[in-house]
Amino acid sequence: MSSKISGRVSPQPCPHLLDFCYRNGSNPFRALQDCIRVKPPGGRAAIRREPFEVPRCGTCDESSRPRLYACVACAAVFCHAPPLHSHASAHALSVPGHEIAVDVDRAELFCCACRDQVYDRDFDAAVVAQTITSTTSTSGSTVTQCKATGSQPDNLRKRRRVDYSLWAPNSRENAIIENHSIPLHDATNGSLISSTELPWGLRGLNNLGNTCFMNSVLQALLHTPPLRNYFLSDRHNRYYCQQKNGSTLNGSKNSRFCLSCDMDAMFSAVFSGDRTPYSPAKFLHSWWQHAANLASYEQQDAHEFFISMLDGIHEKVAKEKRKTHSPGTGDCCIAHRVFSGILRSDVMCMACGFTSTTYDPCLDISLDLEPNQGVSGKSSLAKSNNSCNVEADCMGSSQNCGISTLKGCLERFTRAEKLGSDQKFFCQKCQVRQESLKQMSIRKLPLVSCFHIKRFEHSSIRRMSRKVDRYLQFPFSLDMAPYLSSSILRSRFGNRIFPFGGDEQDACNEVSSEFELFAVVTHTGKLDAGHYVTYLRLSNHWYKCDDAWITRVNESIVLAAQGYMMFYVQKMLYYKASEKQAASWCDVRK
Amino acid sequence: MSHSHKLVIKRSSMSRPPPPPPTTNKDQQHQNPSLQEINIKLIQSGEKERLKELLRERLLECGWIDEMKALCRKKGRNNVTVDDLVHVISPKGRASVPNSMKAELLQRIRAFLASTAD
Repeated sequence: MSSKISGRVSPQPCPHLLDFCYRNGSNPFRALQDCIRVKPPGGRAAIRREPFEVPRCGTCDESSRPRLYACVACAAVFCHAPPLHSHASAHALSVPGHEIAVDVDRAELFCCACRDQVYDRDFDAAVVAQTITSTTSTSGSTVTQCKATGSQPDNLRKRRRVDYSLWAPNSRENAIIENHSIPLHDATNGSLISSTELPWGLRGLNNLGNTCFMNSVLQALLHTPPLRNYFLSDRHNRYYCQQKNGSTLNGSKNSRFCLSCDMDAMFSAVFSGDRTPYSPAKFLHSWWQHAANLASYEQQDAHEFFISMLDGIHEKVAKEKRKTHSPGTGDCCIAHRVFSGILRSDVMCMACGFTSTTYDPCLDISLDLEPNQGVSGKSSLAKSNNSCNVEADCMGSSQNCGISTLKGCLERFTRAEKLGSDQKFFCQKCQVRQESLKQMSIRKLPLVSCFHIKRFEHSSIRRMSRKVDRYLQFPFSLDMAPYLSSSILRSRFGNRIFPFGGDEQDACNEVSSEFELFAVVTHTGKLDAGHYVTYLRLSNHWYKCDDAWITRVNESIVLAAQGYMMFYVQKMLYYKASEKQAASWCDVRK
Repeated sequence: MSHSHKLVIKRSSMSRPPPPPPTTNKDQQHQNPSLQEINIKLIQSGEKERLKELLRERLLECGWIDEMKALCRKKGRNNVTVDDLVHVISPKGRASVPNSMKAELLQRIRAFLASTAD
């Protein structure tokens, strides 16, 4: 349907156009070119006899039809809006030789008999030429008029938009890429990983003076998949950040610090392939500036550090962006995006059943180890009020079943608990303080769940602190479904004393509830003279990170360790790097 | 055969607007401008062109234009006329314009008419 003329493809002219050109000489549209008007603001070409005329159909007098055509032979204007109104076609059919017309608003040639666009090289060239000169003219009225409406030679730019094409590097670009990249450790081929070869991104952290609390948390964060991906894909570029905020060169005490920049530097260093231990001094210094009250060489609490650090990342971003965000969505910063979830708290009045529900964002979940067997009145009360709660509770007060488990802690966390008589809740319906039942559940799961076990008890009454050393069993795979608000409410509905709350769609329905363990921060020793160590799970192997020393360990060591903070990531974000390797080992998932 | 080709003006088609239709009620003529009159007002003041440009921008932003282009491509390149494409695209195009856009344009037209009311 087209022919090539000097390299450019031109559609074949229709017989009517051929006929017209034959009868009207070499440049049949020359006169038409004088009627080309380029209209601001868009800079589009139109055909007008006089600049401000309003074209109307000669037959029906309508000016508001979408397509109006002027017959090139007799200059009569007609509408063309098939199938109802096509006076242009009628004209073409009735008068031979009058088939060719021009779209008055688009300056495009049209054959009314063939009902299709036709082209004339000279005419189109004239249109383009006029368009260019008009939009780039420096005449005052045109330019200001264009600027006022905000869209000027953009129109021209749009016409010349480059078509999308897939990019592949040429040999020179390939060479540049190769010279400036470090090859990734090939973790997919299991046989390459010997017992002495450490996987990518494992590097010891030097203890800078009782800083194992920081090192242990940092090791866990360095291998938190979404956080690692964020920093390794340069989402926070420390050079750009410093440049943007202007580093203070005079070294004043109030020099700006950015924990994210320090994290970025740390990620670069740890994943560089260098195995010598890294000293996170800059990071420590920045954190001290953020958490001035904790700035000392004393041993700190790892969990407190964790929360403080996430807060530091958040604050910096929140200050910069200054945008309001709904808490719990994690839109504000990467720290919240990764760790932020939403907890739901229901308080039910035991007299009338009225339930008050509140939602709170949380960065982690702090769990109590259950009190010693047979002692606590709290657990037995809870049991009696939840006779409908079917749970294999081997931690019942009457029995010494033995081991505490993480699941047990979560069950207890989401169990309905009677608030003591000294904690009577003000019921809005009864308008008086009543005894109430409180139940926690998880409304929205975070990408990474951090479970903090409350092993350090600080009693202000007795002015003493103590550490709970009891062992806690934790699984490698965890399904959080039973602790979600939807599940908790469903089970509550079975208990017909209290009305069903009719909960809205859980935000968690969108994401899976299956999690995989990837890091465990453990504490050994006494309260004030202890040591933190982190165990990391990479490629289904476990590695012990003890400050500057990294060793591979058997999973039984990990299972026997005293877990203080456990990090679980959503299963879909957890890459078990080597399927082949997993097949060669027995499946260790509980 | 060559002759100097001039566009012959047909005065009745490309010239001044027709006189307003005679109405019995003189007030009514001013209160309810016909679509024609509104259209002419918009064109003569240049507002129609500005509105068209605004519309183009909005439709581009929301991906409507790309959608329509994709629909056109589906029809293929052979044995397709402009009329074919217009016939196929128009209903879909009209249906998929976001309501917010319609509201915005309507608002601007109203504002314009109000500002130029006699």
